[in-house]
Amino acid sequence: MHGEYKVPGGKLVVIDLEVQDGALHDVRLSGDFFLEPPEALEVINAALSGLPADADDAHIAATVERALPDDAELFGFSPEAVAVTVRRALA
Amino acid sequence: MSERTQWNDYEWQLLHEGPQPPELHMALDAVITDEVGAGLRPPTLRIWEWSEPAVIIGRFQSLKNEVDPDGAKRYGVKVVRRVSGGGAMFVEPGNTITYSLSVPQALVQGMTFQQSYEFLDAWVIRALHDLGIKAWYQPLNDIASEIGKIGGAAQARRAGAVLHHVTMSYDIDAEKMVQVLRIGREKLSDKGTTSAKKRVDPLHSQTGLARDVIIERMLQTFRNLATLRPISLSQTTLDKAWSQAREKFSTPEWTAQVP
Repeated sequence: MHGEYKVPGGKLVVIDLEVQDGALHDVRLSGDFFLEPPEALEVINAALSGLPADADDAHIAATVERALPDDAELFGFSPEAVAVTVRRALA
Repeated sequence: MSERTQWNDYEWQLLHEGPQPPELHMALDAVITDEVGAGLRPPTLRIWEWSEPAVIIGRFQSLKNEVDPDGAKRYGVKVVRRVSGGGAMFVEPGNTITYSLSVPQALVQGMTFQQSYEFLDAWVIRALHDLGIKAWYQPLNDIASEIGKIGGAAQARRAGAVLHHVTMSYDIDAEKMVQVLRIGREKLSDKGTTSAKKRVDPLHSQTGLARDVIIERMLQTFRNLATLRPISLSQTTLDKAWSQAREKFSTPEWTAQVP
């Protein structure tokens, strides 16, 4: 499943994922955003995998926020934008 | 927290080598920026020349979402992934002006990302004004003009240094670009245009000037900020870059890291 969301005034956020037994599986975040450190991409993917497929935006965004290392910087997107994109992929 | 430094606190180096392949450019950005971060070299401005057509995708972009493999093959376009985020670009030899700034973190100390983008390209905006182009910085990371987008910037932070690189269209083949890149409707949704072809406005059509002349004007503008000494790439740096080009930047593992 595939979802895209262009953050108004920001960058494009893309999510590809599968759903298995009601949970997100093999979640892959991509896009033309900026993220430091770059390794945080895999951290976000891992945190999203296993979330219930009916999790709401707030739950998804909080999961991303919690998973990010303290020194992470997001430019052109946000945990909330990731949540919107996940919901679009699931829709 | 250390003090912020100024442009003219440094004696800058200028690198402008002959045409080089895309994977070597990717590696040179990494190696040179790491050398600046380690204090092995002063801040460096590098002007790029391409030996072959290429698509350069951003660090976090999905290879298959961004590149049309049939289009790329048809035109002999090499696909590489760079170390910085941001969007895909399509280049052919001589049709863009691409440059990299590798600077100590101290030069942008205390700035937000947004501020640092504008700050590091302010001299280019001035140079474009001098050439009669009404250009401005369009957040987050575009150089724009009244008639359309001119170029885009991207940054990567690497241990003590910042890589800031920019590609501006000089005379791009927009028809070919849309056959090589996939540019979806969602991406254009807040840009007020439905066609990617309208989004790049080549410097050539606006100034009528040769590419070399525009680059020379940019360098003159830079020299108002700081000393800029032309140098050649050292064998050590070149060897390091070739080894990264071979072992990392030309491998499918890296290019398809985000499949």
